[in-house]
Amino acid sequence: MNYFPDEVLEHIFDFVTSQRDRNSVSQVCKPWYKIESSSRQKVFVGNCYAISPERVIERFPGLKSITLKGKPHFADFNLVPPDWGGFVYPWIEAFARNNLGLEELKLKRMIISDECLELISRSFANFKSLVLVSCEGFSTDGLAAIASNCSFLRELDLQENDVEDHRGHWLSCFPDTCTSLVSLNFACLKGDVNLAALERLVARSPNLRSLRLNHAVPLDILQKILMRAPHLVDLGVGSYVHDPDSETYNKLVTALQKCKSVRSLSGFLEAAPQCLSAFHLICPNLTSLNLSYAPGIHGTELRKLIRHCRKLQRLWILDCIGDEGLEVVASTCKDLQEIRVFPSDPFVGNAAVTEVGLVALSSGCPKLHSILYFCQQMTNAALITVAKNRPNFTRFRLCILDPTKPDAVTNQPLDEGFGAIVHSCKGLRRLSMSGRLTDKVFLYIGMYAEQLEMISIAFAGDTDKGMQYLLNGCKKLRKLEIRDCPFGNAALLMDVGKYETMRSLWMSSCNVTLGGCKSLAKKMPMLNVEIINETDQMDISADDRQKAEKMFLYRTLAGRRKDAPEFVWTL
Amino acid sequence: MGRGAASSSSSSFESSSYPSVSGESSFPQRKRDLSTDLRLGLSISTSQQDNPSTPSEQLMDWPPSKPVPRKALDSEENEYCSSTLFVKVYMEGIQIGRKLNLLAHDGYHDLIQTLDQMFNTNILWPEMDVENSAHCHVLTYEDKEGDWLIVGDVPWEMFLPSVRRLKITRADSL
Repeated sequence: MNYFPDEVLEHIFDFVTSQRDRNSVSQVCKPWYKIESSSRQKVFVGNCYAISPERVIERFPGLKSITLKGKPHFADFNLVPPDWGGFVYPWIEAFARNNLGLEELKLKRMIISDECLELISRSFANFKSLVLVSCEGFSTDGLAAIASNCSFLRELDLQENDVEDHRGHWLSCFPDTCTSLVSLNFACLKGDVNLAALERLVARSPNLRSLRLNHAVPLDILQKILMRAPHLVDLGVGSYVHDPDSETYNKLVTALQKCKSVRSLSGFLEAAPQCLSAFHLICPNLTSLNLSYAPGIHGTELRKLIRHCRKLQRLWILDCIGDEGLEVVASTCKDLQEIRVFPSDPFVGNAAVTEVGLVALSSGCPKLHSILYFCQQMTNAALITVAKNRPNFTRFRLCILDPTKPDAVTNQPLDEGFGAIVHSCKGLRRLSMSGRLTDKVFLYIGMYAEQLEMISIAFAGDTDKGMQYLLNGCKKLRKLEIRDCPFGNAALLMDVGKYETMRSLWMSSCNVTLGGCKSLAKKMPMLNVEIINETDQMDISADDRQKAEKMFLYRTLAGRRKDAPEFVWTL
Repeated sequence: MGRGAASSSSSSFESSSYPSVSGESSFPQRKRDLSTDLRLGLSISTSQQDNPSTPSEQLMDWPPSKPVPRKALDSEENEYCSSTLFVKVYMEGIQIGRKLNLLAHDGYHDLIQTLDQMFNTNILWPEMDVENSAHCHVLTYEDKEGDWLIVGDVPWEMFLPSVRRLKITRADSL
């Protein structure tokens, strides 16, 4: 390979697309590092505080597409205060200042302001794709700037963001010359949109393949849009009103008959089941169905819908589908790969699914490898059966609504059940557990879960040994998040070098003390050990024996961050 | 929070802090003393004792699912009937009508059964034997456009959005 000119190597590296593979390529030798780095266009930064934007720009001057992640995962569940951090502005400002030809930006759990959106829209002439997932800090004014100024915009994808809605007019900001849209998702916007502008936009976007509407788009507009965009592949239905007149309904049926390409369906915000049958027409071709925002669709209507979806690969639903509904899924969806069953009413125990549904899925769906399952109860026997049926799980996340509930039949901890899962599923990369769990389950995980990269634990374990088994055993561990477990300093400090091999560790409501965290920070200068202090009782010079209520540590090349708010101490 | 080792002391600890357990004894005072003793004796740190009043049903930030607007949940009546579609039903010759929730039915067969019971009659249905047509009834409906049609011609799912009310008429009067 030494005799190949750089251009040839670069051309070969073009075929290496995955981030991990490119990282490996860059570590072979210095010349490869140089060529790979100068030619890499797509960069992934799993923790925006792990490295500075300047360093990224310096290494990857050809950067065109970047993914940045900010807050820790538990921020999704209100465990992280809103101003904790994850500001993207410094990155955009650095990219603009260095004249980077940024074309794609994907952010997850970050804070992005309207000013920042405006800066993006003005600084990057070829900007094509903006994907924001679980972000906040901006309003529809920022979206208006993107719409107005990004002449070649292909993708505007807003997933579950908290957006301040100033109503409607941002959609009208797409100029008449903008005909390049391929993907538009504004399902998470709470306010009204200019429906006429939306229709016109769809009409002049011949490449539109993915469209997800918010609740403010009623059925009659949906029908008109579908008539103009029969080539849609991904559709997010907005509001699905109770009582449409038969004419609108019939027009919808006609429009749907023309949409032969739809493979992915979602939305049904504010849905009533009456007119669901119109969608039976496209069900046979669906590979992805997300009804997790539609509590109004369940029981017989839901089962009827599912029975038409024989090609489904991905299903997201609410637990009001019930075990019975899951049995229908198991017998119908033989291509199913991923399922997520969300809780419809977190505080009530009536509906919901149990171990019965899980076992049915594991036995009926041979390709199932990824599951998120919120359930009423679980048993070891069921988990052992699931493990036997489905050794191909790569992601297994189980959440019992009562987090310390033992085996519903034997009253034993669920150690054996989860032990069976990690033993059997040799390719398991992500695991979340709940229910009554002792140190034993961690012994099993440490012993068997060789490929495990991310694990979430809550209300589990008895002693420090639990966490120690985990840290000792799981060689590929990258992200560990723990809440309400009796793990303390002995576990935290057992193997401090381990944390440099991981992206991050979160521990909240455990037994680690301020002193323990300080000690760790002292030993490991390449880690940022942050304490999130939400009460007034503690201050940095406080008694080291005080509990650190929330601790988040991560490896970094950027040193302590300068944007930490008052309540976050970097030790 | 009940995560102690599985020993008898931890189970009584649990029963004193979880009000739902059936240890609602007639000796509340003794229970309180027990929990105080346990709190003093156990080496669980103070931060976990911060919320002795947090019963298991009100755990903070659990389950770990993202808050999602679920407006329709409040209007649910029961598990299988998130919304209702009540229509008036009249039988020919009877002035006072009934009301029926169409959404509580699976389909035409189910509906006919309910109506048969409600009005104590036999409603003619295409598959049925037409022996005593003189004593049978036929089900008709008024659609959104005001027309009266025989029930059963269109799929159930198309029928639901268009039906305004039902009428049971004598088979021989058609």
